[in-house]
Amino acid sequence: MRLNEDPAAFEAFYRRHVDAVTRFVVRRVSDPHLAADLTADIFLAVLDSAHTYVPGRGSEIAWLYGVARNVVSAQHRKAARESRAAGRVAGRRLMDDDDLVRMEEKIDAERRMRSALEAMAGLPEGERAVLELVAIDQLTVTEAAAALGIRQVTARVRLHRARRALEDVASPSAVYVEGQA
Amino acid sequence: MSNFEERLLSALKEEITTRTAKDDMTTVTPIRRGSRRRVAGLSAAVAGVAAAATTVTLLTGITESPAYAVTKGSDGAVSVRINEFNDPEGLESELAAAGVDAVVDYLPFGQTCKGPRGAHGSTQGQFAVSIGSEGDGISFKIEKGQVPAGETLVLAVTKAENGADKPPLATSLEIVKGAVAPCEAISMPIPPAGGDGKTDNAPGVQSRIDGEDRAPSLNSVTE
Repeated sequence: MRLNEDPAAFEAFYRRHVDAVTRFVVRRVSDPHLAADLTADIFLAVLDSAHTYVPGRGSEIAWLYGVARNVVSAQHRKAARESRAAGRVAGRRLMDDDDLVRMEEKIDAERRMRSALEAMAGLPEGERAVLELVAIDQLTVTEAAAALGIRQVTARVRLHRARRALEDVASPSAVYVEGQA
Repeated sequence: MSNFEERLLSALKEEITTRTAKDDMTTVTPIRRGSRRRVAGLSAAVAGVAAAATTVTLLTGITESPAYAVTKGSDGAVSVRINEFNDPEGLESELAAAGVDAVVDYLPFGQTCKGPRGAHGSTQGQFAVSIGSEGDGISFKIEKGQVPAGETLVLAVTKAENGADKPPLATSLEIVKGAVAPCEAISMPIPPAGGDGKTDNAPGVQSRIDGEDRAPSLNSVTE
């Protein structure tokens, strides 16, 4: 796959996944401008990382969510944000008023998922990461393991622990969105 | 798709075009440690092939040997794939046969060539280097005219700790105009391992840090 060299291949990839990526982002941030920036950042990271995608080793979406997750967590580290190279694509500048409304609608639609994510905030990072991808982003356990670069059995164990830890603190309907294995 | 999504797509496609035409032609790509573990099986398979196929095959202009392959496309572009980091002279002569003057150095783990090796080349363009994606070394492509007469492709590869057939620790590619200084080996800064998966996107520098929880990518990434 030569996503970072072939605009046509990239376009096909983008059209396949832009909606999923936007939804991934608005499950995590509620500011429409930031959501636009992060969506752009994720696809830029896809260009940076295109050579790490090995077809046949895990699904495309698992790889993409792995990239997306890194971008969104990097956003929380201010330093990473500041070190962004100049001249990158600023997503928010590409939005007009209609886009803003649409983005806000998407953000609104994912409100429940954002509160579920908040409920997971107290979990250890490793466990939270697996639960997030399975319960919130609807990846299979296999895909979540691939996205996180961990073994399947590790992912399963963490998922189990995370769910057990949450039994007391979260409403099951919010967190137990069925993740199929 | 919304207007935003269409605009973003155009901006990203422009970014692809800009990147492939960037004048920064040096790519340093330290390999993340984790990938070694993952590709160990494949590397073993490659080594097996190397042992079995000791002859050089010639077919329609493609020269192949187990350690490396130099292919000249119909558009004049020269594709290079290196599976094992030994026999730098052999690769140099293959490249020369394909019309590319090259200086190739393979360095032991932890060492790199002291820069600069010479004056910057005249052409614009960036190499796309992919490293160890399937446990089989690195590959890159030299577009036609990217290394004109009087200029030299300078490749320096820092080998992995555990073997010449493993994905390298670092790869540096540049085009030098005029004389090329011989490689003076110096110790190289090794990216910190572990930590919290710090990732930065400095142009031309891709680093990846090992850790069980690191997702595949964000270059931050290199394989």
